[in-house]
Amino acid sequence: QTVLRSSDTHPDGYPTVEAVKYFGEKLSELTDGRYAVEVFHSAQLGEEKDTIEQTQFGVIDLNRISIGAFGTQVPAATVTQLPYIFRSADHFHAVLDGPIGDEILAAFDAVDLKALAYYDGGARSFYNSGKPINSPADLEGMKLRVMGSDIFVDMVAALGGNATPMPYGEVYSGIQTGVIDGAENNYPSYDTAGHSEVAKYYSLDEHLMVPEVLVMSKMVWDGLSAEDQAAVMEAAKASVGKQRELWAAKEVESKAIVEAGGAIINEVDKAPFIAAMDSVYEKHVTDPALQDLVARIKATE
Amino acid sequence: MTAVVAFQVYMRFVVNSSPAWTEGGAIMIMSWFIFLGAAVGVREKFHMGFDVLLYVLPDSALPWLRGISDVFIFIFAAGMVVYGSELAIRFWSTTIPVLGLPTSFTYFPIIVSGGLMCLFIIERMALRLSGEPVDTASPNEITEV
Amino acid sequence: MEYFILFGVFLTLMIIGTPIAFCLGISSFATVAYLGLPPVVVFQRLNSGVSLFTLMAIPFFIFAGDLMMRGGIASRIIAFAGSLIGHVRGGLGQVNILASTLFGGISGSAVAEAAAVGGIMVPQMKARGYGADYAVNVTSMAALIALLLPPSHNMIIYSISGGGRISIADLFTAGVIPGLLLAVALMITAYVVARKRGYPTEPFPGFSKVGQYLVVAVPGLMLIAIIFGGVRSGIFTATESSCIAVLYALLVTLLVYRSMSWSEFVHSTLGAVKTTAMVLFIIGSAAAFGWLMAYLKIATIMIDFMGSISDDPLVILLLVNVLLLVLGTFMDMGPLIIITTPIFLPVVSSFGVDPVHFGVIMVLNLGIGLNTPPLGPVQFVAAAVGKISIWEAMRSIWPFYGAGIVVLGLVTYIPALSLWLPALFRGN
Ligand code: NA
Ligand code: NA
Repeated sequence: QTVLRSSDTHPDGYPTVEAVKYFGEKLSELTDGRYAVEVFHSAQLGEEKDTIEQTQFGVIDLNRISIGAFGTQVPAATVTQLPYIFRSADHFHAVLDGPIGDEILAAFDAVDLKALAYYDGGARSFYNSGKPINSPADLEGMKLRVMGSDIFVDMVAALGGNATPMPYGEVYSGIQTGVIDGAENNYPSYDTAGHSEVAKYYSLDEHLMVPEVLVMSKMVWDGLSAEDQAAVMEAAKASVGKQRELWAAKEVESKAIVEAGGAIINEVDKAPFIAAMDSVYEKHVTDPALQDLVARIKATE
Repeated sequence: MTAVVAFQVYMRFVVNSSPAWTEGGAIMIMSWFIFLGAAVGVREKFHMGFDVLLYVLPDSALPWLRGISDVFIFIFAAGMVVYGSELAIRFWSTTIPVLGLPTSFTYFPIIVSGGLMCLFIIERMALRLSGEPVDTASPNEITEV
Repeated sequence: MEYFILFGVFLTLMIIGTPIAFCLGISSFATVAYLGLPPVVVFQRLNSGVSLFTLMAIPFFIFAGDLMMRGGIASRIIAFAGSLIGHVRGGLGQVNILASTLFGGISGSAVAEAAAVGGIMVPQMKARGYGADYAVNVTSMAALIALLLPPSHNMIIYSISGGGRISIADLFTAGVIPGLLLAVALMITAYVVARKRGYPTEPFPGFSKVGQYLVVAVPGLMLIAIIFGGVRSGIFTATESSCIAVLYALLVTLLVYRSMSWSEFVHSTLGAVKTTAMVLFIIGSAAAFGWLMAYLKIATIMIDFMGSISDDPLVILLLVNVLLLVLGTFMDMGPLIIITTPIFLPVVSSFGVDPVHFGVIMVLNLGIGLNTPPLGPVQFVAAAVGKISIWEAMRSIWPFYGAGIVVLGLVTYIPALSLWLPALFRGN
């Protein structure tokens, strides 16, 4: 029996970790137990940047990673982390499950990875300690912590706020002491990091829906027989349904917890936010091929 | 390094905006400090070790123990050069977020440090073989952290 | 077999005296080669193991401690402590401990503390008729208070060795009560021993004199508020506070006390650079070693093994404490935290011990190891300033060891001593 080692930065029990375990069970079934998967959760083998390199070198076999961790390595994939590119969860799934999704998965071949499937990472929205955000005007002058990347800094600037890069671990006390007004994340992280205790206004602007991907080392993939490759793909497909189910349940659970804790959640009309992104897209999407990809994603129903 | 971090704090409080490059920049400076310092440590022998065997063996064993250690240090230092280079070549086309430099830059300190360590070991081996008294017991300088 | 290679090569090299960083690196290299994995992973870990912003606090705190020791901040704090508490029986022993506590609140280095406080106090104590062994033992044990009170770079090393997800602000806060408890336990011990030996008291200088000493010491003492307040309230990170400590110490030394020569400054800087390179190179190679331990699932094996001995967390903690005390006799604190945290933390966590609580246990336990020969750097410094041999110090250190062990026992078995204060500051 060959044990494939898979890395994940999330803790045991998290939807992505459980989905990869499920993938392993399926794969085991389909190959009559010749393959099994062991998930090294909680970043035991390193942070995403490091484990991606390890997967590329074939040190570890599988990796569950956020597309965000790839930076500019896979240009087609960076498109999925443009702010407000997906209108809704349905739009997000329609794009990824269709030909555009396959096209982006195939782009990983160029960096020695075989991308197998997309998992849900939820939608990230703004939260702050002051007031509900209903329009970009509400963001005027707000200091918000975003992930350390130019595009998110520009996004907040385009909406009129001040982006403040800050280590994630400092966000709680940062909001508590007023160094920043708020931050942004999905429901589960808003809950588990305790940020809902200090920033009770959660406004569903859903500016980011960054997919998670399950990738296999290209070296390992190329070493598999055609039959085993098909089994891997089938198991990966099966794990997607499982992961979406687990993720949806997790979101419902987290939402209930933060609401019970006093968080005030408001729906947002996204149109003015999307309209404010033109300058950001102009600056960050300069390659004609990517501009075409953006247009096709927006045109997807 | 002090200046870069101080600048970060200053920017946050006084200018009210944190420059994103300070953290990455400070880490890169620190990386050079550490790996070059580690190479100097091989030459000046300030790396911490435990001479358990020296309590039982006669003094004449010292050059032998140090010689064997040096061979292993040489192997590891050579690995730093060879595999550090492999990493640097492999990640030439990817960039470090925010700084915008090739990821390869993060591996240069390892390569340079490994190369220096190899040279220092060869120097010491040559001196040892020519009968120079290069070997001493563990540094007496106090090193607690 | 791969387990044997990883640990066998490590131990063999350590016994023949290979520097510890290379013991870790070479044994990882050999294991990866045996497993047929691409060796680049070892060097990738070596590199990313040191590429952490948090690590920068370590050289800064070491440097700041050294500046405070050489630049006159320490001596003014000692003068203040002397005026305050010198009139108690065996007064200079009490002064020594109080000064160590105050200085420990601004420095994280036990060696710097033993050198700073011991360098001034031990000769004075000898001149006033105290036994050199008593002076040395009080100094070396009181120096450990610096490890527990914030700032403590050893807590940062622990946080990083534990995967970087343990809050440094919480660790800093958690050490406060145990640190003060150690101070009290040592004061009681020092008092009892002083009575038995009939040591003298100092005259009380009067409140106006105390006030004068306080005014002079205030610039140094302010750093306690700056570091603790700043980190705890989230105004700046532990890393940033360490940088501020350096700048502040430089400012006070150069502008207020004007007490440092250029050559002393250069010496101080070079010392900090060397110590940093040495320690952080070990942290880097330990990252490679730790990666292999994770890859080979050694923590899981340890958990099963410990679980087969007992499933009582109290017994497991006793076992881990004894192991750490034994290891601490032979090895230095920093490398031990780096090597043993990835092994013991998952074990005790699986038995329900809070990682912050365990950090305090570990730092105190290994701190005692800094005073046990054959490798006891703090004791060596104290004995050196007292001009006595380690064996002379060892003859009468036992009551002080006893105080340390009692505090360790209390800290181990009463989690609230460590966890109550951080919870209070987090507001829940
Ligand atoms: Na301290
Ligand atoms: Na010791």
